[in-house]
Amino acid sequence: MRIKILRVLIIIVFIITLVNLVYLQAIRGSYYYKLSKNNRIRLIPMEGWRGRIFDRQKVLLADNQLSYNAMITPQDIKNTKELFLFLSSVLGVDRYILEENYEQKTSFSFAPVVIAENITREQAIILEENKYRFPSLVVSESFRRVYPLGQNSAHVLGYVGKVSQSQIEKNQEYGYSPLSFVGYLGVEEYYDNYLRGGSGGLQVEVNSRGQQVRLLSVKEPLKGQDITLTIDSRIQQKALQLLDEHVGSIIVMDADNGEMLAMTNAPAFDPNMFNQRKSFLSVQRLFSHPLAPLLNRSIKGLYPPGSVFKIPIAFGGLDSGKIAIQTTFHCPGFYEIGGIKFKCAHQHGAQNLYQALTHSCNVYFYRLGLLLGADSIYRYAKIFGLGELTHVDLPYEKSGHIPYRQQNILSGKKWYTGNTLNISIGQGDVLITPLQLTRMMATIFNDGLEVQPHVISAIGNHQVAAFSTRQQSWFASPVSRFIKESLRNVVKSPEGTAHILDIPGLNVSGKTGTAQASGTKKDHAWFVGYVKGESRNIAFCVFLENGGSSENACYVARDLLNYLREKEIL
Amino acid sequence: MTQQTLEKKIWVYSFALIVIGLAALYSASYNNVRVEQKIFFDQLKFAGISFLVMAFLGRTDYRKFYDGAYFFYFVNVLLLVMVLVMGRHALGAQRWINLGEFSFQPSEFMKLTLILMLGRYFAKRRVHLSFNFLSKTQLLVRDLIYPCFLTIIPMYLIFKQPDLGTALLLFGIFFVMIFAGGLSYKYIFNLIFLCLAFFPIGWNFLRQYQKDRLLVFLNPNIDPLGAGYTIIQSKIAIGSGQVFGKGWLAGTQNQLNFLPERHTDFIFSVIGEEWGLVGSILVIAIYFLLILSILDIATHVKDRFGVFVCMGIAAILTLQVIINIGMVMGMFPIVGITLPFISYGRSSFLVTALMMGFLLNLSRR
Repeated sequence: MRIKILRVLIIIVFIITLVNLVYLQAIRGSYYYKLSKNNRIRLIPMEGWRGRIFDRQKVLLADNQLSYNAMITPQDIKNTKELFLFLSSVLGVDRYILEENYEQKTSFSFAPVVIAENITREQAIILEENKYRFPSLVVSESFRRVYPLGQNSAHVLGYVGKVSQSQIEKNQEYGYSPLSFVGYLGVEEYYDNYLRGGSGGLQVEVNSRGQQVRLLSVKEPLKGQDITLTIDSRIQQKALQLLDEHVGSIIVMDADNGEMLAMTNAPAFDPNMFNQRKSFLSVQRLFSHPLAPLLNRSIKGLYPPGSVFKIPIAFGGLDSGKIAIQTTFHCPGFYEIGGIKFKCAHQHGAQNLYQALTHSCNVYFYRLGLLLGADSIYRYAKIFGLGELTHVDLPYEKSGHIPYRQQNILSGKKWYTGNTLNISIGQGDVLITPLQLTRMMATIFNDGLEVQPHVISAIGNHQVAAFSTRQQSWFASPVSRFIKESLRNVVKSPEGTAHILDIPGLNVSGKTGTAQASGTKKDHAWFVGYVKGESRNIAFCVFLENGGSSENACYVARDLLNYLREKEIL
Repeated sequence: MTQQTLEKKIWVYSFALIVIGLAALYSASYNNVRVEQKIFFDQLKFAGISFLVMAFLGRTDYRKFYDGAYFFYFVNVLLLVMVLVMGRHALGAQRWINLGEFSFQPSEFMKLTLILMLGRYFAKRRVHLSFNFLSKTQLLVRDLIYPCFLTIIPMYLIFKQPDLGTALLLFGIFFVMIFAGGLSYKYIFNLIFLCLAFFPIGWNFLRQYQKDRLLVFLNPNIDPLGAGYTIIQSKIAIGSGQVFGKGWLAGTQNQLNFLPERHTDFIFSVIGEEWGLVGSILVIAIYFLLILSILDIATHVKDRFGVFVCMGIAAILTLQVIINIGMVMGMFPIVGITLPFISYGRSSFLVTALMMGFLLNLSRR
């Protein structure tokens, strides 16, 4: 009898166990299967070969150089103290710094921790030779971004650094991992997706301790694409030299198609600094430097254009019919309104528009500005693309600002006649970038055809050709012809403000500008113009921040043009 | 059912379990540093020895076991004392005794010894019952208190090692034996209530890791990388096997060392992962059939000692199988209880073989 009861009890507990087993394996099976898969696979990201950057003559601007990193595999460490003492003596770094560094970076015990980047070849060899003593040592080869020309084209190129947290979030869908390097500023940032290629990695099977059991698969990172720029590093080098003593920027652009031949800013920086371990302090200094060497002044620097702004105003006066070419105003050396004297450089006497542009007479433009009115000035400035993005293929371009009466009133500020007068000579709140002025000159040269400035020439083997142009249809040809004649006269006429640029054999046109800087600082010096050359037409800009008289800019421009002719670029 | 078929069944089921166990063990130690391959060959060697033991026990006079029951018990208790005094430490507990090259766990043998001892005790007692001389109290002392005392001595010694699982198993044996011995249900139920009441007090006697295990059993996620780790990984292993398993030698949980103690207490996780529900059911079915056969033997056996021992062995096998499988599935707290004939462990293996040999002997009567 009791045997039967025992039998029944046994049957019951077996059935309960069986039910549990069916539940665990058949019903919940797929859930646990997924868990078991995640249990064992880890991904170690691998950096790919970053595409190189060439200039238009196929000169290397950005390259990758083999570099050595010292790494430690945590799971293989035998004698921690001895290992760090050894590393410290070879690398010449304090042991505690190394240990701290190691502890901070350790993630998985199978994933090697980079203890020192960019060690010398000699150090790498010593480490390799001692691997038998310290099996956890790994000397890895990786590629380091180098910029062979140093400061040359630095602002166009940008630099490469570790990806920041905000960048990770921004680019999550593009597959950035926390270890990734990413381009900052310039082409490195703008064309990062092409340069970086596909990131690869190792798929590693690990055990419960996180130790690597075997390599499941290697996904070779895709090579990034090489990029060819329209930049001519020779001009860049010359520009760098010309700006040596100055703060400012030099831009040379092909007037016919918007190709940027040169875009140099001073002070510049050396992008190589960002991937050298020891240069941390120098990088800090770059960021805190009062002259902002990282700033690409050509597209991000906002300055009053000074007299250069007279070009759209002259155009506006003729186009709107407020004045004719022969309209004459008298210049007594100042213009008085409301008891305040607005000055001119000289007493020009009677001036027509042609003369006023050649001499850069302020009084003429005060009166013309008043005739046009602030809103009209705004409209004409916009036609020339001032205060608007050029959409050059570089990041963080700024649009600047053209004052607008309506806007001022809306924001509760009053609009005075003095504001209009200031605008008329490109002062006050008129803020534009050097590149905008360069493009304006190209637009004038092309009789209203606006090109898009760009630095890209080819990605991989594909020529990049899709750049929009815009025909400014309201460029009435007589007006346009007159403006061009006047600008030519600025250089050609012995009385022209830029007569020193009248280089024999070169057809140079342009406009000078001396813009008051804020406070007690020296004026900004401008020269923007275009050259109808034998092999190429260019629009260019020389801007010296607090460079004093526009004459200074003209001297720099003369050296630049002479160089261009010498090298038969023009 | 003829006695010959029963004998054959015991052989077949034992053989099947041993083969399955060897296959699982081979996989658990395959290409691995943590679990050395040599344990497979060790187990293989013991399988051979076990067959010899079974065959030998099947042919000896089983009265000798009856005669020697008290002596075995006495020796075994002595060995347990020796373990505590001079035993070999392993896995944080003292369970082994070294005899030259050979080490063994007296606690494992205690399971069989206790069955034999209590079997003899209850078998002998029947003679006096018909006279009805004894008072109720005397009966209670004789039927319950005295056997309980005899059980608690080895139980306490094993608990001190500490080996909670085996200690509780001994109590299970005691419980089934008094049940088989014919103690009235009234006392049995009272005993159950008494045990439940004792549980909170008993809690204080547990070691910290034992408490941890019990708490983790209630909720494995309280410490997923500590005490709960084992349960979680084991559940993942079994569950991920799904219906048809990942294939022999292909269980990732097993092969990648996610399973702790997978060659001993957690061997069923390896089977569940690699052979799936199909394999798990097969193993459980064989145990089930084996245990039912043991009960069949019990019904055929003429003398009371044989009946009690059969019931005791059936009970201990059931308890071990259910608790072991239940614990790897997360149904029970983790207590060190092996899966008979499948887990690696010489003592456990040998004791199971002794039990089977004993049953073979009984099936012939």
